[in-house]
Amino acid sequence: METILALRDLEVQYYSNRKTIRAVNGLSLDMHKGKVLGLVGETGAGKTTLALSILNMIRAPQGKITAGNIRFAGNDVLTMNKHELRNMRGKDVAMIFQDPMTALNPVLTVGDQIAETVLRHEGVSKEAAWKTAETMLETVGIPADRAREYPHQFSGGMKQRVVIALALACNPKLLLADEPTTALDVTIQAQVLDLMRKLIKEQGTSVLFITHSLGLVAENCDEVATMYAGEIVEFGSVKQLFGNPLHPYTKGLFGSLPDLSAVSERLKPIPGLMPDPTNLPSGCFFSPRCPFATEICHNTHPVDIDVEGHMVKCHLYTKKGGKA
Amino acid sequence: MSARSPITDTPMTDTPILRVKNLKKYFHVAKGNLHAVDDVSFDISKGKTLGMVGESGCGKSTTGRLLVRLHESTSGSIIYDGTEVTSATVRDMGMLRTCMQMIFQDPYSSINPRHTVASIIGEPLKIHKKVHNNLEYEERVRQLMTTVGLAERLYDAYPHELDGGRRQRIGIARALALDPEFIVCDEPVSALDVSIQAQILNLLMNLQEKLGLTYLFITHDLSVVKHISDDIVIMYMGQIVERGPTEELFKKPIHPYGQALLSAIPIPKLNSKRDRIILKSEVSSPINPKPGCRFAPRCAYAQPECSTADPALREVSPGRFAACRLAEQFV
Repeated sequence: METILALRDLEVQYYSNRKTIRAVNGLSLDMHKGKVLGLVGETGAGKTTLALSILNMIRAPQGKITAGNIRFAGNDVLTMNKHELRNMRGKDVAMIFQDPMTALNPVLTVGDQIAETVLRHEGVSKEAAWKTAETMLETVGIPADRAREYPHQFSGGMKQRVVIALALACNPKLLLADEPTTALDVTIQAQVLDLMRKLIKEQGTSVLFITHSLGLVAENCDEVATMYAGEIVEFGSVKQLFGNPLHPYTKGLFGSLPDLSAVSERLKPIPGLMPDPTNLPSGCFFSPRCPFATEICHNTHPVDIDVEGHMVKCHLYTKKGGKA
Repeated sequence: MSARSPITDTPMTDTPILRVKNLKKYFHVAKGNLHAVDDVSFDISKGKTLGMVGESGCGKSTTGRLLVRLHESTSGSIIYDGTEVTSATVRDMGMLRTCMQMIFQDPYSSINPRHTVASIIGEPLKIHKKVHNNLEYEERVRQLMTTVGLAERLYDAYPHELDGGRRQRIGIARALALDPEFIVCDEPVSALDVSIQAQILNLLMNLQEKLGLTYLFITHDLSVVKHISDDIVIMYMGQIVERGPTEELFKKPIHPYGQALLSAIPIPKLNSKRDRIILKSEVSSPINPKPGCRFAPRCAYAQPECSTADPALREVSPGRFAACRLAEQFV
C-alpha cells in the first residue's frame, strides 16, 4: 500500500495564561492511498488540531508544532515556504469544516467561491473556472443556475454540499473531513455521505474522516484510529477495531453507546473525565479512568504494541505477548 | 373492562398524567404563519418515558415548551393531572411549575454564569418558599447535589469551572429541586460527548426508577431515544406522523418517513449495512404549508391524492398509529 501521508512523533502545543496546553503528544500515523481513515475521539482529544497541522495551519503565537514531521506525498510540509503551502492547500490537500454555516463567505456567491479556488490552482480562464464551478455544483446535486446565489439562500444540507463541491473542485489527493455531517440531520447526513462516498471513489481521493460517531466510521471507513489526549491509542482496519477492540478506552466508547439491536439495559460509561491537557497524568494518559490500570500504567508511558497488525498503546498487551 | 383511551389505546387504568389534544402553535412571521406545532395529540402515562424524535425544525422543542407553558399555545388543550395548563391562572401555574420541570439542551447557556452551583440549584427552593431557614436550604441543596452525583466541594463553585457533564448535572438538580412528577428533557445529552452522555442517561434512568418520574424526552438522536423511551412519537413539520411502543416501532416503522429516518441511523457494528432509504430533497417550508401530507414531496410512495388531503393520525394495527393514507401496505 502506498503511503500518502506520514506523521512522525508530532507534538502540537497551545499557550494561554502562561499555561502550556499539550494538544498533540508524539503522534505517529500513516495514511494509505485511496483509503478512508476514520479518526474517532471525544471533544478535546486533538482531532481538529491534527487536521490543521497537516495543512501547517496551527496559528502562531498561540499555537506551535513543537516536534515531529509531516510528509505528504514525500514532501516535508513543515519546511514548505508560503508559496508551496498555498499551492498545496486547496489543491492537493482540501479540508471540509464541521460547520457549513461559517465555512462559506457570506458576501460571495457560491459559484464565485468555487471558481476562485479553481482559478487559483488550475491556471484556467475565468470562464472555464466558472464552468467548473457549475459542473461541481451539479455533481453535488445543486442546479447550476443556483451558482449565482449567496450562502444564506441555501439550507444547511445544501451548504455542506457546496463545501464538498468546493473541497473536491481541484481533485485533491487528500481530503480532511472534520466532522462533515455533525451539524446535519440524520436523513440529510445520509444524503451527504452517500454523495461523498461516490465522489471520493470516483476520484480515488484518500480521506481523513474525523468524527466522534463510531457508527459513521463503521459505515464509511477502511481504517480507524482512536485518539485520546493527543495520542493515537489504537489503530487498525475497521474489521479489526470493531471486531476486536483492544484499548480500554475504545472498549469504553463502545460501552457508552446505546445498542439499537438489544433491549435497553444500563449503559456502561467510562468513569471520570478527559485529563486536563495542561496537566496530563504521568504514565498512561488513560490510566486514571481505566478499570484495568496497574502500577506500571500509572508510572510508565506505554509504547505502541503490535497485536497481529493491530496497533494498541497499552501495557496490558505487552504481557499478552504483543510486540513493541 | 374494555374501556380504552381514544388517543393512546392504552387501558384506562394506566392513567395518563399528561394529556395533549389538538395542540397548535403558530408563530407570526413576515411571510405568514409558521406552523411550528400543528394539531398534535398524545398522552403520557405516569412513570413512563415518551420519546419525541424528529429533525431540526419539526416542532419538538416547541411542543416541550408549550407543555410547561414557556410558550402560549395558539389553540388546543394540555391537561396535567386534571388541570388545564393553557388557561391556568398565575396562581395555578405556580402550583403546576412545582410539578412540571424542564431540563434544557445546552448546559453552557441555560445556567447563569454569575451564580454559584448552590444558588443555581437552590433558587427554585427560595422562589417557591420550600425551605424555612438557611440550614434547611443548605441541607436540601447538598442532598440534591448528592442525588445527581455532584461532589459537595463544588457547592461554592461557578459554572465556568465545570465541564459540560457536570453542568448538565446542575441543570438536572435544579429541575429536581421542587420534587416534580413530570420533566420535559429537551435534548439533555446532545451537547455532551458519548462517554459523558452515557453517564447522564444512566442518571436520568436511575432517578426515574427511584423517584417515579415521568419524562417527555425530546431528541434527534435515535439510538438514545430507543434506549430511554417506553413509547415514541415521530414528528415531521409540526405533526406527529407515527406513534407506537419503542420496541415495535424500531422493529418495523410504518410511516415512510419513519422508515427513512430509522434507516439513516449509522450503526457502530461490522456488516451492518442495511438498505438505506435516501430521501429526495429537503424539508419544505413550514410557513403557510400547503394542504395534503407534508411528507409527500419527499415520499417514494406518494400518489396524487397524497397532496390533496391531510392524512390523520390513525390506528393502523393495535397500538400502532401512523398518519399515512397508505399505511396498511407497510404493516
